[in-house]
Amino acid sequence: MRRLRYILSRLVKAGLVTVAVVLLSFFLIRLAPGDAATVMAGQAGYADEAYMKGLRAEYGLDQPLPAQLWKYLTAVAHGDLGTSYGRGQKVLAVILERLPNTLLLDAFALAVAMGGGIWLGALAARRPGSAGDAAVSLASMLFYAMPQFWLGMMLVLVFSAWLGWLPPFGIETLGADYAGLRRVADIAQHMILPGMTLALYYLANYARLTRVAMIETAGEDYVKTARAKGLSERQVARRHILRNAMIPLISYAGLQASILVGGSVVVENVFSWPGLGTLAYQAVGARDNPLLLGIFIVTALLVCLFNLLTDIAYSIADPRVELT
Amino acid sequence: MRLDRRTAMGAMAGLLAAPGAAAADGRRILNAMMTDEPATLCYPLNNTRLVQEICGNINESLLLFDWQFNPHPNLARAFAMTPDGLTYSFHLRDDVAWHDGVPFTARDVAFSCGTMLPQLNPRSRNAFSQIARIDTPDAHTVIFRLKQPFNAFLLSLMASSAPMMPAHIYEGADFRSNPFNFKPIGTGPFRFAEWKRGQYIHLARNEHYWKPGQPGMDAVYYRLCPSPEQRMVAMESGAVDIAMADDIDTVVTSRLTANPGIVARADAYNGTAEIVVMELNQRRWPFSDRRFRAAFLHAVDREFLVKAIQFGQGKVAHSPIPSTAPYHDDKVLTKYEYNPAKARALLDAMGLKPGRDGMRHRFGIMMQPDGGGVMTRGSQYIKQALSEVGLDAFLEATDWPTQLRRSGNWEFDCDCNSYGEYGDPAIGTSRFFLTSNIRKGVPLTNLQGYSNPEVDALFPRAAVAVSRQEAQACYSRLQQILTHDVAMLWLYERKPMFFHNRRLTDVITGPNGPADGFGATRPA
Amino acid sequence: MSFLRAFFARPQTLAGFCIFSAIAIIALAAPLLFPRGPFTIVGMPLLPPGASGFAAGSDVLGRDMAAELAFGARISLLVGIASTIVSIGAGGVLGAVAGYHGGLVDDLLMRVTEFFQIIPSFVLVMVLVAFLQPSLASTVLGIALITWPQVARVVRGEFLALRQREFVAAARMQGLGAGRIIFGEILPNALGPIIVIATMVVGNAILTESALSFLGLGDPNLMSWGSMVGGSRSSMWVAWWTMVLPGLCIMVTVLALNFIGDGLNDALNPRRGR
Repeated sequence: MRRLRYILSRLVKAGLVTVAVVLLSFFLIRLAPGDAATVMAGQAGYADEAYMKGLRAEYGLDQPLPAQLWKYLTAVAHGDLGTSYGRGQKVLAVILERLPNTLLLDAFALAVAMGGGIWLGALAARRPGSAGDAAVSLASMLFYAMPQFWLGMMLVLVFSAWLGWLPPFGIETLGADYAGLRRVADIAQHMILPGMTLALYYLANYARLTRVAMIETAGEDYVKTARAKGLSERQVARRHILRNAMIPLISYAGLQASILVGGSVVVENVFSWPGLGTLAYQAVGARDNPLLLGIFIVTALLVCLFNLLTDIAYSIADPRVELT
Repeated sequence: MRLDRRTAMGAMAGLLAAPGAAAADGRRILNAMMTDEPATLCYPLNNTRLVQEICGNINESLLLFDWQFNPHPNLARAFAMTPDGLTYSFHLRDDVAWHDGVPFTARDVAFSCGTMLPQLNPRSRNAFSQIARIDTPDAHTVIFRLKQPFNAFLLSLMASSAPMMPAHIYEGADFRSNPFNFKPIGTGPFRFAEWKRGQYIHLARNEHYWKPGQPGMDAVYYRLCPSPEQRMVAMESGAVDIAMADDIDTVVTSRLTANPGIVARADAYNGTAEIVVMELNQRRWPFSDRRFRAAFLHAVDREFLVKAIQFGQGKVAHSPIPSTAPYHDDKVLTKYEYNPAKARALLDAMGLKPGRDGMRHRFGIMMQPDGGGVMTRGSQYIKQALSEVGLDAFLEATDWPTQLRRSGNWEFDCDCNSYGEYGDPAIGTSRFFLTSNIRKGVPLTNLQGYSNPEVDALFPRAAVAVSRQEAQACYSRLQQILTHDVAMLWLYERKPMFFHNRRLTDVITGPNGPADGFGATRPA
Repeated sequence: MSFLRAFFARPQTLAGFCIFSAIAIIALAAPLLFPRGPFTIVGMPLLPPGASGFAAGSDVLGRDMAAELAFGARISLLVGIASTIVSIGAGGVLGAVAGYHGGLVDDLLMRVTEFFQIIPSFVLVMVLVAFLQPSLASTVLGIALITWPQVARVVRGEFLALRQREFVAAARMQGLGAGRIIFGEILPNALGPIIVIATMVVGNAILTESALSFLGLGDPNLMSWGSMVGGSRSSMWVAWWTMVLPGLCIMVTVLALNFIGDGLNDALNPRRGR
């Protein structure tokens, strides 16, 4: 019951955040010099006044600002995010087309980062102070300092340009029109380099977090008790240390998911991955305000969702945590 | 540390079974690329190289031209010219139909050459303005009566200049808003099948194509591939079979030419004979002064442009007529060699002295929006070269609509462009120097405002000259005048590279290259 | 003295300090080292490092990579430091006020910082820079806009903790106004964590600036490491150094800053662990 009330309150909060996002973005985007009609006319190749006037009327750009804002807010409440200027399609449709690609890549990156990171961190924690431990620390510092776009391009240089092992661009082979299992394999192959680029930074951090958490927990009383009870090292690690180390890991995973969904613009750009990040970049270039607004809103909602899921997972992992 | 490139190529080719020219269902597919989506697929309306290349498969012209630019029958099975050069008659094939089944007749020819093309295409307008009357005595005969003899008339019927358009689709309606601009109808080896926005344009085999044995492929796909590195990789890995003129950046052509699985052709665009130029708005001072223009050319090392920016794929241009084209006359040209000292002397003589910052004059160079490619790099080098003689040029980045608008409306100091000659100076060259072709609001015309009465008289005389010697005499005098006047800043002749996968053959069959379509192409 | 000893306790801090100093010196001296500037074409393009006297090779236009890298350092450091100053200024003041007063002001600040965490911040800075036209000023503003919330949170935390202390109560009893207390009494004690977070912000700012330049949203008239990597997308396939070297510079600079931050943390916040 309390959990339900908590969820509801978070949903309300998400709604308020959406309104705030819309307000902020709405006015921010109005900063742009020149209005959308000029841009659209330029793209179509015509430039006469009559055509532009028609465009302005069609998109409601000749209305006073508060009226436009109100119209937009009511539309959003009904799930209509408007029509993209450059593409002529509905914004929500365009976003939903690309969103799965981003989510797929993010999920892969999350899985690799968590899986690899926890494993490495556990390994390092077993032998603190060893060369392996130092290596994990160094790796984490390096990946933290490395620009993601450069890491991506380095991977392309080595694995595509020099070794020719992996495809450097896109989500599937251009023009192949694969289907079924072959398509899955094709996409998987294309996902490796961008996925690794996104994952490596977080992987190093997971390793560090795991290592620290496990070292700290290893010193706790209940662990000593478990060891005294005769449980094997591996059982101790799994049942007690890891379980308790999960909490900071879960919170970091939530953070990673939030950052990824809104922040993979650069990596998607390097690999020409057709996801939300590329869409955002194209929308900026085309001054496509409805699309940009739509991306802001969808991303913010997703982040709220991830935060909520993280908190719930948190509370499951550690019943002591209160949901407030 | 670095693996041998060949091994790498081999490894690349082994990526998850590179898709071949045969699709899973055995269809023979030709995969090409486009750098961005065309505005429409109506070639007379959108006279860009990309639309030319795509529509080359859909629309055809009356004649085909061989490597020596001699005309051969195509949609016209026979043609003749009267000795006085005033009447051309074409006998059309009677077995040709449009993709929607309607027969191709003389009415279509009369409509295309008499109405649609002159209205929409500046090059056609120039050439077809010589036509006095078009007669169609029967459904398969067209007779052109000219006002005066025009020795380039047949050349003006090259596919890239005069595709035949369906009268039953376009006649009587507004050309610009016709829905068939997005699903074109033609007579060619491939018909329009599908345009999936953001992904590809799909052309399917024309089952009723009149040439026996053609087309050799079942489908052509133009896949959207916006970034140059992506296009290079797509070509190397075999994902696409064809890379056309602007697809591959000159920086990486060396990779493709070294690739054993790829064929490189440097002659695929001979029919276009392109020159990269800069145009100065000669209505504004100091661009109106011949000495300024000469100084500009002396200041720029055009050999460096060819060697370092084009990576050797070109040749310095000294004449408005390319060195590979007929009527080029090297003997009469005034050449402006790279000599910064001379440039400075000319500017001093003009009264343009260096100011306190060492600069004599500041002006803008409007760049072409090619995404940081060859033209952008060329502009950056030119800016530096000019600054060394005291000319402060600032680079203006634009997008295509802005570039076309500003150049058409003469709102620029200096711009960069590249122009094709299309087989004859009367077609491709005269349009930039005739006073009559100064039209505000229309790009690809005499944007500079250059005007010289002797030139105005010579070009038409050359076009109607009956003998080749007479034409040559006129064009030689024209080259003499134009190069002396520095009528335009000719930088270099460009030889765009065309690449295709070795598994295809008969891809390029004439100097028009892809503009003639891929009807003859088949698996090797 | 004890500060220096604590600061240089770890070997990597010394390394970081030396490297960063070297980069700063090169950045300052760039116009002297390369009087022709980074944009001048000086040779054939795509020469490998070491060829024809080009220590770092030449790029796709034939410019000296070493000159470009040196001038790129100026931009990275300038943007990094400038945006940090703005960010710390704004975030510091807001966090201080919120932390000191608590209550509604604090709530409001927390909601605002949460908001900035929820929206996609890189997209936001892209939009801002693109719409204000890419320039040094818009880049600095944009980066400051997305980094001030984390500064504010840290400062707020410090002030929340410190305002309970006796010296603050004493100052209040003396009748000092809130402003004097915040800036005169609490701030000097909170300086430690603020300085440490400043090094992190500089590092982040350098990374963000390079990402924006990489995407073509940087000032087009300035040479930046990010724009060098962005411009090498084609040339890297035939000349690896055009892409590898600028990115390496970014990484080394940010790494050095992180080590310095660790050292400062050791020296200024001995109580807190890592």
